[in-house]
Amino acid sequence: MIEVTALTKRYGQFTAVKDVSFAVQPGEVLGLVGPNGAGKTSTLRCLAGIIPASAGTVRIAGHDVATDAVAAKRALAFFPDEPRLFDYLTVRQHLNFVARIYGVAGHEGIAQPLLEEFEIADKADQLPGELSRGMKQKLAIICGLLHEPRVMFFDEPLTGLDPLGIRRMKDSIARRAREGATIVLSSHLLHLLEEVCSHVLILKRGEKIADGRIADVAARFSNGDPNVNLEEVFIRATGGSET
Amino acid sequence: MLNALLYLRLTSFRNWLLSRARRLRQPKYLVGAIVGGAYFYFFFFRGLSRATGGGARRAAADQAMATVNVTLPTDWLPAAAAVGAVLLLVLMTAMWVIPTQRAALGFSEAEVAFLFPAPITRRSLVHFRLLSSQFRSLVGATIMMLFSNRWSFLGGNPLTHAIGWWFIFSALNLHLSGAGFTLTRLADSGLGGWRRRAFVLAAVATVVAVTLARLPTGERLPLSADDFNLQPLADWVVALTSTAPLGWLLWPLKWVLGPFFAPDSFRFLLALAPALGVITVHYFWVVRTAVAFEDASVDYAERRGARIAAWRSGGRRLGQTPTKGRVAPFRLAGLGRPELAFLWKNLLSTWPYFTPRFFGGCAGLIAVVGFWLNTQPAWRGFLPGIAAVTLMFAGYVLIVGPQFARQDIRSDLSRADVLKTYPLAGWQVVLGESLTPVAILTGILWLALLMFAFTFHPATARFDWLTPGIRLAFALAVAAIIPALVSLQLLVPSAAALLFPGWFQTSRTRGGGPEVVGQRMIFFFAQTLTMILAVLPAAFIGALPFAVTVLLKQTGPVGLLASGLASTLFVLGVLLAEVACGLWLLGGRFEKLDLSAELQP
Repeated sequence: MIEVTALTKRYGQFTAVKDVSFAVQPGEVLGLVGPNGAGKTSTLRCLAGIIPASAGTVRIAGHDVATDAVAAKRALAFFPDEPRLFDYLTVRQHLNFVARIYGVAGHEGIAQPLLEEFEIADKADQLPGELSRGMKQKLAIICGLLHEPRVMFFDEPLTGLDPLGIRRMKDSIARRAREGATIVLSSHLLHLLEEVCSHVLILKRGEKIADGRIADVAARFSNGDPNVNLEEVFIRATGGSET
Repeated sequence: MLNALLYLRLTSFRNWLLSRARRLRQPKYLVGAIVGGAYFYFFFFRGLSRATGGGARRAAADQAMATVNVTLPTDWLPAAAAVGAVLLLVLMTAMWVIPTQRAALGFSEAEVAFLFPAPITRRSLVHFRLLSSQFRSLVGATIMMLFSNRWSFLGGNPLTHAIGWWFIFSALNLHLSGAGFTLTRLADSGLGGWRRRAFVLAAVATVVAVTLARLPTGERLPLSADDFNLQPLADWVVALTSTAPLGWLLWPLKWVLGPFFAPDSFRFLLALAPALGVITVHYFWVVRTAVAFEDASVDYAERRGARIAAWRSGGRRLGQTPTKGRVAPFRLAGLGRPELAFLWKNLLSTWPYFTPRFFGGCAGLIAVVGFWLNTQPAWRGFLPGIAAVTLMFAGYVLIVGPQFARQDIRSDLSRADVLKTYPLAGWQVVLGESLTPVAILTGILWLALLMFAFTFHPATARFDWLTPGIRLAFALAVAAIIPALVSLQLLVPSAAALLFPGWFQTSRTRGGGPEVVGQRMIFFFAQTLTMILAVLPAAFIGALPFAVTVLLKQTGPVGLLASGLASTLFVLGVLLAEVACGLWLLGGRFEKLDLSAELQP
């Protein structure tokens, strides 16, 4: 569903992502981890077609993001860490707008259960300025889910959510993966990744250090310790320092 | 403690200056600084280095007024000082009437975060705030001096003007703080807002009424003057503001204005003592009445921070904060052209008046008024003037309108990441984003065209060929071209935003300064030049049918009508082709846009 080959992203002389390849299949949840400045956000933004890759290819649901961007984007949803909402549109108007952009027929019938699932149905006629940070995050997530994407990219999805919201978010990600969605999520919360992800990809200075099933990656860095957790794996894999 | 606060203020100021100087290493700031610096030099500073030129400008003004039969007073200063004192009184009265909330001092969010929990007394915080306001007063005084130095009736020199403005700003700042503290104390002691307002307004009205009643008969307002002689009016203003009790009320304010209006250095020195006295009294008033301002100041800082953040992140203007949702301008179904979703969204972000019903109502009103004016012989003399004003307004809307109607890609540039995840081609996003300002400006220009059609009545025989039929055809042709022309105009600032996002973003988010002024001027010149280059081919091709008509000697009504129709279609075709090319190019640019790379410092 997601096929990345030799992905490279450069900003001027600086290379943020260097020759990274991996694939994620339907039903898998890939956790993207790495120290600050490792290239996680750049990778996610290249995958979602927000920024062009400097080299390499990204295919989403069989469509090349560079040459067939519209078809690829129809299949995906990107959830940024900071919700970017329109100040003048109410919650319901946001969903109406997004429905038209993605051509979602009968969107009211899809939106209402989502509003109830994320517990903001009673805020449907309020502007973003009247919502808390967590509610804005929920609205951004609902907007992304409205067209029922098959591929989802989450950048720090739990930022700003309360404990109940975090639990619901984790359940929601896991449920959508069980239903066949392909999910990539980037987070520093390693216990979240351990709970939700089936696979992990560790980046450092833009390069892939390791990827695969969590158990396999853990075994590679366990040094024979059978109880090693992802945090320990992360520290060993990245050398315990930032970039 | 005050030393630490002074250190904070001075260090911040020094670092701000250094950062401004350092960023001149980037071409976008350096070029802007050169253009902005040249602008300031030629329009403001060049006058400072020479003699003030007041005499020459005064002579020129007198000569201009003589041509329109207006007699000016021989000495403006007393009347100007009187008017200035009355303006100060109005401002200060407003400071006692308008406030609805507890006194707040204008701290920033960072200042609140660092200073309020620190072991600093309330009085030190007041001093810090007063000190900070002095920096603003100095900057404001310098800027105002650049303007007032061009006023021909003033004496003095740039230095006395700058110091004079500093006294004015300082007095206003201190009075605002003092009034706020006093009102909070009064409110705490049980005086309600409306009672306070009624009392203040009644007191001021009583003072004015008693003064008017005490004014000598010979000093009454000269309303029945046959010619436009301003001298009696100036004399009346001076007499009014010198008569008790208004005169007593205005004395301290005239002392504040004294240094600014001093005609020479000696009288400037004499005016300093009374002005300093007023400032000193104000200072002690503020310090002694200071009440608990922390809660209100925190609230103020948060609101100001939110407004600034909103302004920096998008197209919202300062002071405009949506408080509740609006009814959608039209029903947006889930299926259909996605570009219309942007029209729908952006219409929600602008004034609620931009609806077909409102424009239709305006058109009806213009038609009724226009028809009525045409049937009134007494009013027909005004029609050419109205037509000329309408034409100028239309030109202004066409040229400057795109700078105000920004509900397009410019206001959503900060959300480019979100827009780029939509399954749309770049040109679709740019087209959709452009629809709202195109619709708004087209509506306004159509109304102006309607008004012009009703009021354009050339009196000379040269325009006899402009029969009602030809005028109608001409109006329809222009109406057809307007949307394409507006679209083209709007593509230019959109192109600037997409091609030079670094320039575009910094020109509106990183504060003022000569470099930012210069950047804006470069944008304006570039827009004008691009527009001329884009319209020239359309004008050339549009002229071809008329040329053919003349060559074939078919200048009768049918020939002219046919060539007019062909010309309109040709012009429309060229403009639409240019718009399509522009959308395609900008769409491609949008797809490749990487703001994170473009906006690197």
